[in-house]
Amino acid sequence: MNRRRIRHSRAIQPQALQHPIMALHAEIQAHRGARRSFTCALAGLAIAVTSWFNPVSAQERRLDTAFGPVAVKTAERVVTLDEGALDTALAVGMKPVGSVAVRGGKDLPTYLQDAGKGVKIVGTTREPNLEAILAQRPDVILASPGLEKRVYDILSKIAPTVVPSVATTAPWQDRNALYVAALGKEAEYQKRVEEVEARIEALRARAQAGQTFTIVRWMPQGPMAMSSQLMAGRILTALGLQSTDIAAELGDRPHSDILSLENLGKVDADWLLIATLNEQGQATLDAARKQPAFTRLKAAQSDHAVTVDGQVWSSATGVLAANRVVDDIERLILK
Amino acid sequence: MPRHTKRMPLRRTAIACAALVGILMFASMLWGAGSLTVLQSLQALLGRGSEEAIFIVHELRGPRTVLAVLVGLALGASGTIMQSATRNPLAEPGLLGVSAGASFAVVLAIYFGADSVGLHFSIAILGSLAGCFLVLMTTQLRGAGADPVRLVLAGAAFSSILIAVTTLILLHDQRTADEIRFWVIGALGGRPTSNLVWAAPGILGGLVLVAITTPALAALSLGEKVALGLGHRPAFTRLLAMTGVAILVGTATAAAGPIAFAGLIVPYFARRLVGPDVRRALPIAMVLGPSVVLLSDILSRLAVRPYELPIGVVTACIGAPVLIAVVRSHRLPRL
Amino acid sequence: MNSTSMKSSIRGPRGFWLLGGGNISILVNQRGVWAGTFLLCLLVLTALWSLTAGTPALTLAETIGALIGAGEGFNVFMIQELRLPRIVAGILSGAALGVGGCLLQTLARNRLATPGIIGIDDGATAFAVASIVAIPTSLAPPMLALIGAATAAALAFGLGGGGSRGYRFIVVGIAIGALFGALTNFMLARTDIDSANLAYPWTVGSLNARSASTVALLAGCVAICLPIAKILGRDLQLLRFSDAVAVGLGTRVKRTRLAILIVTVCLTAFAVAVAGPVGLVSLAAPEIARHLTGHRGVPVINSAWAGAWIMTAADWVGRTVFAPVEIPVGVITAVIGGPYLLWILLREPRRTA
Repeated sequence: MNRRRIRHSRAIQPQALQHPIMALHAEIQAHRGARRSFTCALAGLAIAVTSWFNPVSAQERRLDTAFGPVAVKTAERVVTLDEGALDTALAVGMKPVGSVAVRGGKDLPTYLQDAGKGVKIVGTTREPNLEAILAQRPDVILASPGLEKRVYDILSKIAPTVVPSVATTAPWQDRNALYVAALGKEAEYQKRVEEVEARIEALRARAQAGQTFTIVRWMPQGPMAMSSQLMAGRILTALGLQSTDIAAELGDRPHSDILSLENLGKVDADWLLIATLNEQGQATLDAARKQPAFTRLKAAQSDHAVTVDGQVWSSATGVLAANRVVDDIERLILK
Repeated sequence: MPRHTKRMPLRRTAIACAALVGILMFASMLWGAGSLTVLQSLQALLGRGSEEAIFIVHELRGPRTVLAVLVGLALGASGTIMQSATRNPLAEPGLLGVSAGASFAVVLAIYFGADSVGLHFSIAILGSLAGCFLVLMTTQLRGAGADPVRLVLAGAAFSSILIAVTTLILLHDQRTADEIRFWVIGALGGRPTSNLVWAAPGILGGLVLVAITTPALAALSLGEKVALGLGHRPAFTRLLAMTGVAILVGTATAAAGPIAFAGLIVPYFARRLVGPDVRRALPIAMVLGPSVVLLSDILSRLAVRPYELPIGVVTACIGAPVLIAVVRSHRLPRL
Repeated sequence: MNSTSMKSSIRGPRGFWLLGGGNISILVNQRGVWAGTFLLCLLVLTALWSLTAGTPALTLAETIGALIGAGEGFNVFMIQELRLPRIVAGILSGAALGVGGCLLQTLARNRLATPGIIGIDDGATAFAVASIVAIPTSLAPPMLALIGAATAAALAFGLGGGGSRGYRFIVVGIAIGALFGALTNFMLARTDIDSANLAYPWTVGSLNARSASTVALLAGCVAICLPIAKILGRDLQLLRFSDAVAVGLGTRVKRTRLAILIVTVCLTAFAVAVAGPVGLVSLAAPEIARHLTGHRGVPVINSAWAGAWIMTAADWVGRTVFAPVEIPVGVITAVIGGPYLLWILLREPRRTA
């Protein structure tokens, strides 16, 4: 058992060989024969000493998930059942072997399609196809927060399943932390996050601090204000712009109820960003312009009402999506 | 005539109900989700006051009130005729496949690229009419038009097919699913005034059709054989009545989205007040319908300021307890 | 000795077998038994077929091997842990819905009556969706669905006069159902799209990844309620006539009605807690059963087989048609069941039942 463990550890964590006793041990292992029994004893001693210094084995990660502690041994074959998880995995260079088709019938989200070429589809967010997931023989499954226990029970029989317990309005950098820990790529993730934050810093000079903004979904009956705690809102706030009260006071809710057209003043701001799910949001903007209540808005009159990609702006949380948001801001606001 | 059914004189009841509608229309102009006081609204109604107040009262609340009256008219009349023609007090206009048809048409339109904001009125009305006519045609196939139970069953089956195909589409296209969940709860606010222009002739036409068939339907309530003996044609009458109902409900659904329940409870009240004769119940239902819809609309504006509740929720929340109370306290008025 | 000679000289009426001896003798409808056997064989075949189908499709030999534990570990896992529980859940919930539908239709003397219209489906959906998108509770959605179904039924019972005034009870049930339906739509509109997606299976009815404990509860319920329903079926036959006739023939109408309602609600509540609001099974299964059995009697057991078959077949179609994207079973039953129901309706001569 000890021998197997050492061989295993050698395959996964080469830096374990740096340890002098472990290196000696590996050499001895290379010559089999009558020395086996002696080797076993030495191995046992080595393991005992090593575990004294490293209480948790380096390749097995214990994570605190929403359903209790989960041990993840390896993360070579990853299946993602969540858009944020997919984004995070692609961002740290670990292309998953399978992902659900998020926000679209049969495909990955548009902004991830290039990076995600070759990823097999294993169902949709609403109905993950358990057999397709099994067929990929995953080592770890990254699922959405809010996953039901009954689905979790079956998934964890297939592979260790990681379900974070975060609110929708948690800071976007933290929301995917558990996925990163499961993949063991904290360093790369931190680098990517710092890249985005550096971009934001660089752009801060060009932004007019103090300008107000609201991100909305425009419905005919009235707009829904998206919370300023979502990723896009936080990025804009980091750039120095200020959210309107209605978006900032939503607490845990991701968006407000439908605001009456009589109260449009509450979403009126210097910048009104209309999140549409259309490919070209222009149609929504044109239709909204036909509503007399819309044309009275300060933002509409000063031509500061712009459409943005709803997929990325209203619900994405990953680093690649953050980059897209910054791109959009650069293009639309900081001209 | 059973002694316990208290019938009120028709003319007095009609005048009382019409007065109620007038009061509610007035209230609808004065109250809303905005921050206008009643006094300010009153001034704006008379043409004085701030520009914003005038805009809110005349451009937002005015068309909305008129739409509520039209929709109430349509739903009240169609519910009464539907229940009379099918001899089934459980029949709701939605059973004819109208809401399912309208939703299906809207979903198709959104799937092929339209936006819920810019959706044209004609799409939903085409859908509802097509749905209803398909139902009617299938029942005509084997002379099943003679049997009202089979008509309702056919409508139910057809609705479920349409709903299933709609769900299939929603499964494939996330974006459509995201947009449709707001259309499906119904709303009176934010509809373009062109909707009123489109809706009015439809509703008037439907009302005319329905009024023509009323005497024949009254004869039908005496039994098929008696009606035949009196020279009426039951199957033709029913077909004509259903067509009228289809036009009315189709227009109402296209104008305001599916508003549940109004078509079910208004006929109950009407029959409770003036007895089961459809010639008496129809005018009262036509006057009660707008009251119910107006009341629901006002409540939807006042309940969660500054937001608005979807009107379908309010009609269900008011209608269900009221229906239960009616059913419990008295013998059900027979058709 | 008397009994044997009596048995040999008395035969059942045409179309029936006479079973039993001593003091007990039972008349068994021949056509019912043939129809039941046919449906059962169909069910077993479909279930086996469904077990072999899927993303890695297996041969029949491999499937049977995996069922008993032989064969590749991968296949054994897939069959035993993924496909078999799903098929079992489908059979059980389909049977429960079929029987519930049959009982209620006969009781209400109305082919439109399904357990769903008295608000059970809508109540279960509303509670399950609430637990996912609105109110964080420690109870799992299947349990909440059960509680929701029970609440809706209790409200309909309580406010509707206890089921003795049958007609009123249905009207109240419709009102309750509409109320819960509106609440569900409202909750779904208020939440973010991710939570709305997670709640989606509970709004259409799906057999994907069902909770094993709830399935076990459903199995218990079916095991208890099915024999009870069969026994009540005899009184149900008499209730098809008017109340006066039934009373004259010795049925205790009120008690029987209440018992039937309770059985129906139990079966439907557990079925909905497992599979969600799958429509049309409780409407179509009794029709199929009646079609095959002839219109004599109340086909309780055959409705169970028919309902189970519909669910299994629909689930198979949903899994394989657009693989790897699964279509929930509720959608398939509506798409298949709707036209079939229309066809049955339009071909038969007018009936007053």
